[in-house]
Amino acid sequence: MMTPEIFSLCVLAALLELDTTYAFQLTLSRGIISGPLLGLITGDLMAGVQVGVFTELIFADINPLGGILPPSAAVCCAVTLALYAAGIDLYFGFFFGLTGAALFSVLEKFMRKNRFKWLVFWEQKITQTPSAVNRTVGFALASSFLMNFIYIFIFVCVFGRLMLVLLPHLPAKAHLACTFAYMAVPWIGLATLLPSFRLKTR
Amino acid sequence: MDFPLHLQIFLRSFFLQTGWNSMKYQNIGLTFVMLPFLKKLYAQDKDALPSVLARYLETFNTQPVMASFCFGALAQKEEEVAQAKTLTAFKEKVTEWSTIRKSLSITAASIGDRLFWGALKPLTLLMALFIWLLSGVNFFEVPCAPSVSLWNTFSAGAAAFFVFNAVALFVKWEGIKISFLKDESACFGLTCFDWNKTIYYAKRLGLFMTAGMLAYGIYHYLKDFKELDAHFYARAAIVLVFVCLSLLTRKFKIANMYLYLAAVLTLNIVCLF
Repeated sequence: MMTPEIFSLCVLAALLELDTTYAFQLTLSRGIISGPLLGLITGDLMAGVQVGVFTELIFADINPLGGILPPSAAVCCAVTLALYAAGIDLYFGFFFGLTGAALFSVLEKFMRKNRFKWLVFWEQKITQTPSAVNRTVGFALASSFLMNFIYIFIFVCVFGRLMLVLLPHLPAKAHLACTFAYMAVPWIGLATLLPSFRLKTR
Repeated sequence: MDFPLHLQIFLRSFFLQTGWNSMKYQNIGLTFVMLPFLKKLYAQDKDALPSVLARYLETFNTQPVMASFCFGALAQKEEEVAQAKTLTAFKEKVTEWSTIRKSLSITAASIGDRLFWGALKPLTLLMALFIWLLSGVNFFEVPCAPSVSLWNTFSAGAAAFFVFNAVALFVKWEGIKISFLKDESACFGLTCFDWNKTIYYAKRLGLFMTAGMLAYGIYHYLKDFKELDAHFYARAAIVLVFVCLSLLTRKFKIANMYLYLAAVLTLNIVCLF
């Protein structure tokens, strides 16, 4: 199940995920950009576009305001497309992609809360040797990338294998139900954009 | 502030959120961004640097693009701290510096969140969706419509990427420069732009584009039906039910993804029994 293309997809997704918070924030990690990019690796660009658009629309109502940590679009696209490349239908893959992204934000919250244990050590180092801040930033980036990669890789492995075992036993009606729910995603997302453009204050 | 220093702060600002933590938020990032400036300012007084850095390592949190206004303002105020002649003046300037760091970061975050996350991001999404539909990528279909050229596939995402970043990088670059030159009376350059008007027009345009997208989407979704059969009604029902449900759940602040997960569960139960 873990082909070189799925492995490289996990690496690229872990790199793209850094763009969400830790580096650049150039919106490379948003669905409409990461979806087609990851689709290019799996060889199905149109699936990448569709998953990217659906991911972006379904998360359109959650913005990183204040302490809110939105689910990761890059993780959702990566998990969905990796499962799709492994032979699992897109409508099942998207369900796991969404679950993976939601769980990833829980893990990220946990990591952020626990990072302060390192903070005292980092602050001491920086005040003693100012250039230590460069190493600190480098270390933080590397550790975040590693965490992203391990999470995506394990999630794809576990749920990919699980779905490949379950798939032959799933009734045809389950396929139909999941297809209908998947088809509803753009409408759920588009309807959300209407109130999001409401002028709350002027 | 000379050009090389301006450029260094600008490039380092891309790593403002590295080391983000729930205790002091972007404090490591702020120190990383301001380090070249501080090293230059305190080149003759290297012993002062640890205590200066300790101030920068205090809590700091703002919107990453609008943070540029804080960098320039803090640099300007830091120069005043470094030039303080007496201990009283020094303490006064440090207090002023701390107040500005806190107040400016809150103001900048408020503007940045509304402009970049609340208006520009969904606006560029709609722009990309329109480009895709116009270039023949019908993402409403499952599985997705037949493949189109690589250029058409990437053009929409690239357009959204460039439009968003053109605004973000302009604000980032200019923010550092303006906030370093303007003082408190001009709110460190924040009043140089009419943010409220920009947000107002962006949101109005967004509302118009969303309504257009919904209409265009419905047309795309239902255009191939020659007669009103069961399949047509099933599709129309999906649109109507989920648009209404989405508006309803939004009112109760329930996230979209829960609506989707509930749809998966409900439709499975309905289909199986």
